[in-house]
Amino acid sequence: MMREEAHRFGRARHLVGIAGIPEGARGETGVIVLNAGLVHRIGPFRLHVELTRQLNAAGYPTLRFDLSTLGDSAASGGQLTRTQQVCADLDDAMKLLSERAGCERFVLFGLCSGAQNAHVVAATDPRVSGAVFLDGYAFRTLGYKLRHYLPRLIDPGRWARRLMRRAGGAPATPKAAAQPIFAVAPAPREEVIADFTGMVGRGMKLYLVYSGGISNYFNHARQFRECFGKVMNHPAVTTRYAAETDHTYILTGDRARLLDGVGGWLSRNFPPASAGRHS
Amino acid sequence: MRLDAEMPFFFGPDSGLFGMYHAPAFPPRRAMLMCPPLGQDLIRCHRLYRQLAQALAEEGMAVLRFDYYGTGDSAGDSAEVNWERCVSDATTATAELRRRAGVDRVIAFGARLGGSIALTAAERARFSEVIAWDPVLEGERYVAELDAMQAALREDAGRFNRPRSHSDVAEQWLGFDIGETLRRQLSSLRVAPANVPTLVLDSMPASPDPRWERIVSQRGKVATIAPPTPWDDLDRLETAILSHPLIQAVTGRLKEVA
Repeated sequence: MMREEAHRFGRARHLVGIAGIPEGARGETGVIVLNAGLVHRIGPFRLHVELTRQLNAAGYPTLRFDLSTLGDSAASGGQLTRTQQVCADLDDAMKLLSERAGCERFVLFGLCSGAQNAHVVAATDPRVSGAVFLDGYAFRTLGYKLRHYLPRLIDPGRWARRLMRRAGGAPATPKAAAQPIFAVAPAPREEVIADFTGMVGRGMKLYLVYSGGISNYFNHARQFRECFGKVMNHPAVTTRYAAETDHTYILTGDRARLLDGVGGWLSRNFPPASAGRHS
Repeated sequence: MRLDAEMPFFFGPDSGLFGMYHAPAFPPRRAMLMCPPLGQDLIRCHRLYRQLAQALAEEGMAVLRFDYYGTGDSAGDSAEVNWERCVSDATTATAELRRRAGVDRVIAFGARLGGSIALTAAERARFSEVIAWDPVLEGERYVAELDAMQAALREDAGRFNRPRSHSDVAEQWLGFDIGETLRRQLSSLRVAPANVPTLVLDSMPASPDPRWERIVSQRGKVATIAPPTPWDDLDRLETAILSHPLIQAVTGRLKEVA
């Protein structure tokens, strides 16, 4: 059994979120789900609702909420930078889940800009014990470029089409520019590597899941290591490259596999003491 | 803006429906129930619904936004969404709104299927007026459009590296599991005119065929909103729908009939 509670909370009572509290789950690891892009707290195609309810059934307290100015949350009225505001909002979120379910340690879950925001907080807040980053930071590596361009260079069909165009044949069909719905702002690579190293150094567990939906800058499981170096081989880091899926897991089978992966990773790394008591 | 004037809460059977109540600064004389659309339209319209609710609350109206069973933050799985239950939830939400606002006069607003639900629930919920934005009136055609978009999604090169299998995309519409019951209900849907004043806000692409006559011939009228809303554009499936003209049209209408 579990219950969901609607909350208005935060230092300026500016935040809105839904806490999911399993019965008897006092003191378990709490899972906090951040906004993906501009989508409100239910997540793309309701991903966050499905995730939090599945985790509640496994015994984890959860909070899906809207950061300041997103979804139903308002601005706090303070003079903080966006990064400071994200950290303050997550501090409010952790305090709420601590009050409601006695949580002392937390796992953050974020997709895209949500991963970026979770990264910022995970790098600095000692209460964060784990993080799930979906399509978070990544860099176009030499390996990426070889995998991307080499097949095109040796594709005779592609050359034939190009020569046809040069000779005045069929014009290329212009493809509408992709709408930039979600994006992760770049950060210096050394900084990201230092953050990951610091996170595992203090005992954090990380789960990085990258999708085929970011093939414009990430295209192989090896790229985790190419991007971030040997820290990706640390036993506290689990990576998964889901080439077949899109960025926001629009297909329900892809979503189910993602959620099973997250649930399995959590149960291995943060086994709930009350496991088995929930249905 | 008074933050505590926007309160999230659960209500209804087993406290399973999520609501967000926007209280005006002074005791209201009337209220508005905002019926959300279904599926991805619900997510795309969330921001606009909030903006409209805030604008109306500033004008002195009590407003309730809510999610049907199986949608948004409400209880239930996406595959459990049921048309009859949506109409019944709209009625439950209207009773909750009347109780909270302390008024009897409730106007309903809804976009796409939200407008269809508002029209269908009008008599049972005793709405004093319905404002429907591009409502879906003929379910069969709408189901065919959703099926066509789902088929196109399967091989959408902007989304997937390789086309997906037919089974990967089966029994879903644009990100959501679809139960057989909802498919059947929508396929046979033919929305009847509401026996209350009805305003249709039309932002559909121009069409030579009459679209709305059947539901506005007796007690309704149609107002056009420009530009057209890209409801059915697969490339903009995850782009929020924002419309200042829509907010102006609704607030303007409510000032007319104050």
